[in-house]
This record gives sequence, structure tokens and C-alpha cells, in this order.
Amino acid sequence: MLAYLVLAGLTNSAIYALVGIGIVLIFKATGTINFAQGDVLMVAGYVAYMLHVALHLSYPVAVLGALAAGFAIGMLSERLAFRPLKSADTISLVLATVGLSFILKGFGRLIWGGLGDYLSFPSLVTDTPIMMGDIIIIPQQLVVIGGATLVIACFAVFFKFTPLGRMMQATADNRRAALLVGIRVDRVHLMAFAVGGALAGAAAVLMAPITLLYPDIGFPLFIKGFAAAVFGGLNSLPGTLLGAVAIGLIESLAGGYLGSGFLDVSAFLVIMAVLLVRPRGLLGSAALRRA
Amino acid sequence: MRQRLQLITGAILLMAGTIGTAPPAQAADVPGVTDTEITIGSFGPLAGPGYLYGRLAMNGVQAVFDTVNAAGGVNGRKLTLVREDDRCEPAGAIAAVRKLIFDDKVFAIDGGGCSNAAAAVRADVEQAGVPWIVFAAVHDALTVPTAPNIFSPALTATIESKAQVVFAQQQGAKRIAVISMRDSWGRSRYDPLMAALKTAGITPVADEEMSPDANDATAQVLHLKAANPDAVIVILYPKPAAVFLRDAAKFAFKPMTIGQSGIGDPAAFEEQVGVPGATANFNTIAMVKVTPDDPAVAHWRDAVTKLYPNDRLSTFNMFGIGSAEVLVEALRRSGRDLTREKFIAEMNHLTKFETDVYGGPITCTPTDHRCNKSPVWLKKDPGGAIHVVAITTVD
Repeated sequence: MLAYLVLAGLTNSAIYALVGIGIVLIFKATGTINFAQGDVLMVAGYVAYMLHVALHLSYPVAVLGALAAGFAIGMLSERLAFRPLKSADTISLVLATVGLSFILKGFGRLIWGGLGDYLSFPSLVTDTPIMMGDIIIIPQQLVVIGGATLVIACFAVFFKFTPLGRMMQATADNRRAALLVGIRVDRVHLMAFAVGGALAGAAAVLMAPITLLYPDIGFPLFIKGFAAAVFGGLNSLPGTLLGAVAIGLIESLAGGYLGSGFLDVSAFLVIMAVLLVRPRGLLGSAALRRA
Repeated sequence: MRQRLQLITGAILLMAGTIGTAPPAQAADVPGVTDTEITIGSFGPLAGPGYLYGRLAMNGVQAVFDTVNAAGGVNGRKLTLVREDDRCEPAGAIAAVRKLIFDDKVFAIDGGGCSNAAAAVRADVEQAGVPWIVFAAVHDALTVPTAPNIFSPALTATIESKAQVVFAQQQGAKRIAVISMRDSWGRSRYDPLMAALKTAGITPVADEEMSPDANDATAQVLHLKAANPDAVIVILYPKPAAVFLRDAAKFAFKPMTIGQSGIGDPAAFEEQVGVPGATANFNTIAMVKVTPDDPAVAHWRDAVTKLYPNDRLSTFNMFGIGSAEVLVEALRRSGRDLTREKFIAEMNHLTKFETDVYGGPITCTPTDHRCNKSPVWLKKDPGGAIHVVAITTVD
């Protein structure tokens, strides 16, 4: 039973991590929580659906389409909901992203709401369960875990070894200093939203075969991703990863050993307990200030 | 003198006649009714996941109205449908219904797709006295206690829950387990289900919970499998139900599973589950006894396709078709001098009225407006056709 619960928990962890890292990336660069991150994922998922299921294009094309859609919506989000308000207070910025969330959800309902209540997205691999030792696994679970690991690894490389990644890192660490050394902070903000959107696109195609697609899918995923980010430390990418793994495992193990009624509430109880002891989260540093 | 006497006598007779036969309510006095037209309102979700219970049901109502209008209307009046979107939300439903009643001034309402949203408008509709035929929402609060002007030819949560227990027993299940959502929608079914199990002397061998947005059911499946049930009663939306059956298949756990009308389209559900054969033992409740490809509803298939060329007839269209058939029958029986009071009186005495779609005859009484007590059981062969396997009539 333990092995099954751990595998199920890790699959959910991978999903939460992809959403959470997108939230943290934007927060680190801009000091703003993007409440529309889950809805960017939803729209990117529908774009992948249209390409792969409706137009019968190949899976890689659907993946590229979802990444491009996420990237474009991210850029648009920065232009519409962040840049015009960047001098405003934090509450105004947060409300702008909440508004964007509703707009994207309405857009999703209007365009795709009539296709079906919950749309199924074909798995990349066979649906037939496979045996790994004594453990039964749905192959798509491995795709989600493997895909998320790959995306996160690419992301780490991007931050460490590309000029843009380093500029984003520098801006996140100290915006004023970044401005002084000539980094175009506006461009960094734009790219943070865009890359965060692309990350949501990657998450969408990986998880859609497991979660199904519907216009309201964004918020529940956002909440779990946000919880992972807060748990790990809102400005720490490794912390977010750790938070996602912790939430996924706590949920699954609590559901298995304490009862299914504890599944949803358990992770949040642990988060509250951790935050009482360590308000910055597990690996979080001092609070960021917006430039 | 004689002429004056005749005039006075005539005047008295005229006055007596006038007093004795008060003028019937004129069309202009009755909201939503003119000499040539009756306006009916409808509300439900027009987009989003719930659109099946709103827009598609309304399309079914429209198909009936167009068919009736083409045949001359009801007692010489054409039927017009006004639609409002409630977004499947209580606040949206309240706004939609108030607009229908006060702005559009409809004669009656044929609508209500989502249970929680529909339940939220009961007080408004009851107070306004507007007749309301519920076409899809199943919340018990709509019909219990009985509101004088609200009638449901749709099933109700309690009736479905009772039917789930009866069906499980009819199929020989002794060990029964339950998996349910515990939100407002789930509770409206879970509580009467537990009461029905208790009445039948059955203690569930397992009682599991899932959230509407769950993406994994490993823990629940392991618990249920350990309990070794003959049947699992499923009170879940299609999404968590699909996740549950997918994960159950992963563990080769394939007991008889018994759904409800929240999972009313077995073909769409099979796609959502996505694992071949995982729905082989799945049975679910439909409000209607005919499948969309049944020759018995060929005329409705044609009517829907004519109106909406991109649509195929669906189960959800038939929710609207059934409710509209009931509405039209009560309008017809109310006669040319139509009033809301007459319409309500006719609904109160609608007895064993057969529609083209419902599982059993529709019977309403002044004290019981749960007019449909015949849930229909559907099953889909893996990759094949949908069959009606039983019709369970419950009290």
C-alpha cells in the first residue's frame, strides 16, 4: 500500500511543482503573485487539445502549441495586468491578476465550454497499466513525473547558464542593483511572465490526460501550486519543489492511512503548522521588495 | 310606460348578466400572454462544464416549441422561449430568474439546470407565483416541502438515491460500498442514500470520500478493494468518477458501480475514463428511457438537427423535450382563457401523462410535485452501444 500511495503522491507532486514553480518565477522577478497562473494552464491545455484532438496534429506539435500559447498569454498578462500597474500597490496588482484569471476563465468557457463537460486528452503512452515489480503503474504517471523532472531540470539550466536566466536571477536577488548595472528590468518582467506561461503550457499537456480538461480547472491547480510555493518558501525554487513533493505525499498518505476524508485537509494542516514555526516557509529567505 | 318598463327590465338583466359572469382574465392581464403568443422563460448554464444541463436542455425545449408552433401553437398561441444564463451559480440563477419574472414578464419557467443554483431561486419563484417546471435540477429542496407553483418532471436526489439502493439489491449485491463527494451537491444525495440504506437494513462495507477536483483515487480504491464490495454506489461528478474508475482499473478492481444522473452520458464518461474496459460494470441513472439513436425519438432527432445543424441529439436535449411536453400538455388543458392559476390547477391534476422520453408516466398531485419517480438505468458496452437495462420505480 505504501508504494502505491507514494507513487500516486509523487504524480500529484509533479503537477503541483510545475504550477508552483511558475508562480514563484513570476513572484521572484516581479514581487507579484499571478492568480491567473492556473487559468493560463487551462487555456494552454485547450490549445493543445484543439491541435491534437480536434485537428489531429501530432503530440509534439500539441506540446509546442501549448508552450507557445502559454508563452504568449504570459506576455499578454504582463502587458495588460502588470506593466500598467507596476507602480501601484501590491493589492492592486494582485487584483489585476485575479481579474485576468476571471477573463481567461470566461474566455475558456466561451470558446471551449460547449465541447463537453470534461474533455479527455489522450495519453502520450498506452493506457494499459504496467507492472513494475509488485507495483501497478499507469504509464502516464511516469510520463508526468519524468516530464516534470525534465522541465524543472531545463529550468535550472536556464537559470544557471543563460544570460536571460542570469538576468532574471539578478533581478530577483536585487532589482535596484540590476537596474544600476543596466539590466532592462521591464524586459525581465516580461520574460518572467512569458516563461512562467510556457511552464504552465508544459504542465497542461503533461497533466491533461490525468486531470481532464474543463474551464474551471485552473483555480484548484493554482491553489495547490501556491500552497507548494508557500510551504517551501515563496521565493525559493528548490523550496517550491520540496513543498510540492511534501503536499503530494502528505495528501496521499493521509488519504491512505487516516481515511479519504483527511486527504484534502491534511496538507493544509501541515502547512499551517510549518508556517507557525517558520513563517518564510521551509527554504524561504527574507521577503522580496518590488523595484 | 311599457317601453320604459322594457328598458328598465333590459338594463337589470344586462347588469345581472354582467355581475353573474365576471369577464375572463384578458390576455393583456396575464404576464407573458398575448392573443397570439405565450412567453416561457428558461435559465441554466449556457457555457462551461454545466452547459449540458442548461443550453442543451433548452435546445430540447426549443425543439418542442418549434414543433408545436408549426402545428398551430397551443390553443391558437405560439410559444416563445427566453433564455438566461445562470452560470450554474446561485447568484447567477437569482439574477436570471428575477430578469425573467420582472423584465421579460414570462408566463412560466421551464428551466433549472444546476441543483444548487436552482435551489437558490425557489423562494423568489414561489413568492412571485410564476409556474416553474424544473427540467434538470434534482435538489430535493425544490420540491420538498411542496411549493404551490413548482413542479418537477425531472428526478429528485432522494428518488435517485433510493433507486441506487433498489437497483443494487435487484442486481444481487449484498455488500455495498459508497464513494461520494461531501459538498452541497454530494450531501443532497449522500444523506438520503444513507437513509435508504438504513431503511433497507444495509450497513455500507466502506464509505469513501472524494473531492470534485481530485486527480487521484489510489487511497479510496485501496480502501474499497480491501472491503470487497459487490457494488459501489458512486455519488460523484463525472471528473472524480472518471478518476476513480481509472484508478480502480489500475488495481483490477471492477465491482458493479452504480452512478446517478450527474453522470448521465455513458458515452462521454467512457471517453473521460480513458482506460479500455474500465466502465464495463458501470450503470448509471438517466432521466430518459430512450438513447439518442433510438428510432422512437427520430422525430426529435430531426427537430434538434434542423434547429442546431452542428448538434446531434443528446440525452440532455431530451431533459428539455420531456419537460416541455409536460408544459405544453398543461397549457393545452388550461384552454384559451389561460391564467397561471388554471395552469397550476392542471399541473396539480396531471395523472399518468406519457411523454416520449421519461422512464415512466408523469403524475403530479396537489401535495406532491415530484412528478417523476421512474429512474432509468443505462449501461454502455465497452466501445459499443448504450442500453436501457432497467427502469426502477420508487416511492
